[in-house]
Amino acid sequence: MQGALTSPVDWHAIAPELVLTAFACLVLVVDLFLAERAKWLAMPLSAIGVLATGAATLSLVGSERTTLSGSYEIDAFALLLKGLFCVIGFIVLAISFDYFRSGIRYQGEYYFLLLCSLLGGLVMSSARDLVTIFIAIELISVPGFIMTGLRKGDPKSNEASLKFFLFGVLSTAVMLYGMSLIYGLSGGATRLDRIREAIDGSGNEPLVMLSVFFVVVGFGFKISAVPFHFWAPDTYEGAPSPVAAFLSTASKIGGFVGLLVLMFKAFPEVADIWRPVFAVLATLTMTVGNLIALKQRHIIRLLAYSGIAQSGYILVALALIDPSSPGVSRQALESALVYIAIYAVMDLGAFAAAVAYARRGGTYFIDDYAGLWQRSPVLATLLTGFLLSLAGAPPMAGAWAKLFVFLATINAQVYWLAVVMGVNAVIAAWYYLAVVKRMFFEAPELEGPVEVPYFLRAVMGVAALALLVVFIYPPVITELAERSIL
Amino acid sequence: MAALAQEILFWALAVMMGIAAIGVVTSRNVVHAALYLVGTLMGAAALYILLLAEFVAWVQVLVYVGAIVVLMLFGLMLTRAPIGRANFDNDQRLMSALTALAVFGVTSYIMVRAFEGQTIDLTRETGTLTSSIGEVIFSTYVLPFEVVSVLLLAALVGAVVIARRD
Repeated sequence: MQGALTSPVDWHAIAPELVLTAFACLVLVVDLFLAERAKWLAMPLSAIGVLATGAATLSLVGSERTTLSGSYEIDAFALLLKGLFCVIGFIVLAISFDYFRSGIRYQGEYYFLLLCSLLGGLVMSSARDLVTIFIAIELISVPGFIMTGLRKGDPKSNEASLKFFLFGVLSTAVMLYGMSLIYGLSGGATRLDRIREAIDGSGNEPLVMLSVFFVVVGFGFKISAVPFHFWAPDTYEGAPSPVAAFLSTASKIGGFVGLLVLMFKAFPEVADIWRPVFAVLATLTMTVGNLIALKQRHIIRLLAYSGIAQSGYILVALALIDPSSPGVSRQALESALVYIAIYAVMDLGAFAAAVAYARRGGTYFIDDYAGLWQRSPVLATLLTGFLLSLAGAPPMAGAWAKLFVFLATINAQVYWLAVVMGVNAVIAAWYYLAVVKRMFFEAPELEGPVEVPYFLRAVMGVAALALLVVFIYPPVITELAERSIL
Repeated sequence: MAALAQEILFWALAVMMGIAAIGVVTSRNVVHAALYLVGTLMGAAALYILLLAEFVAWVQVLVYVGAIVVLMLFGLMLTRAPIGRANFDNDQRLMSALTALAVFGVTSYIMVRAFEGQTIDLTRETGTLTSSIGEVIFSTYVLPFEVVSVLLLAALVGAVVIARRD
């Protein structure tokens, strides 16, 4: 014990988290001294904070280190995800600016909460300890409950927040119960590698199965996997739309990171038990998400169900993991990482376009997207790009994302899952392309130009360009993923 | 002898907690439900004492009984929620009873099978000393401990934002 006390903290290793925490507090304090019409200054300050965090993350590239008795790990996997969380944070800030400046009070508090939630994502990427993983998932979720309810005057926002809160708390309780069983099983170890050793020799399959089941149910809520998805569409619709964008990317990816780390680091030996669970979850999630998305008339609800379906494709990768054939596992994890990275950018892009249109001369209803091409060719083209990417169609990066998971499935010889994926890709293409068709081939019902702020336009343009570049030259992302295996 | 006393105490507490827990979910009066909850939480605290984890036991009393249940009662009082007999049922009594029984049956069967016959040698030396908790919180778990403070700050700010009258 005495030795543990004197072991120093590796400050450089936790620099990104420290920088982000400092900026979050700075935003909160600075907001106190700003006049009501200058409150928007919290956004540039937060953006600088996210960029500084990104720089701190970059300064760690190439180093492999652990700190705090091995419970916090800085490896390529963690750095890739920290970088991704910074990108997500920056884009969400860009989407939020216009929305919050003109609509909602509590701008400073909102940006503070957003940065706190982002901090949870950074912590989750490095956490290799049960306690840290739990705290990280809570830090991602709790500010989310509040951000969802920020449109205080709107009953829909209140309802969204309450639903999210109740489902979130329930899932946390279930997950925590599972974690407590794991703690008992491992004889009091919380570090994942120790848990792995303890479980390997315990011979307690039923209890391992039960605890893994509880943990998966808890994470299932976070990643909105069917049948734990009921909160998602209502919450996204009622929440301020930039918050919905954040929940469907950062919050969901945080859940996936926790799930991946747990399954790879703590439970690989019992993969035979949980692989079928993920196969069933993936099938349900893809199919139900896509089928319900077909009937949506509200763009945010459409994106919510599409996001549920997209979670299904990532779950497919988890259903392939097999420690007895490392090649298959490697490919599955790589394809999951590629999918997560591309999904984050394309989903945020679609949300950004939807929010920009609704704020500047349009609505959230898909019917009102008719003839958008004539009113704003730029916005229509960008949104088409993001929707094509989500559908997995060329010439956007989403095509590779789906293809890599598909190839991993074929390679693992789980052909039925590959068939399910293929059928779902076709169903999904239908509703994405229906929106595209409406924008290009129907006469506009609403009049007037659509003026998207230049900053948001630039961010969307860069996102679309990135997706295009990845499509043309996929090694940009695949090599990164290849090096970032757990 | 000490072991027998412990066994008797455990079962007494277990029965009390079980009855109180059933009271929490079946009571038709919210205030009564909150008071039953005190019984369950105090029972858990007593179990911690039986396991020689006195720090956890007192945290349980201070935080859960002292803060959370009292806060719940204050919340009921200040928001003028209906505190008399009220119908909160959604006609799912049978379903929820069956689900609860099934979960209880499965988890207890698996847990008994997993840990049957194992004993923990509890003495002052091996029990969870308060000083050892302090040591791990500020060494191994210092990062989650600090992250929790950010979490609490966020929750605090959020509570003010939500509760404030615009």
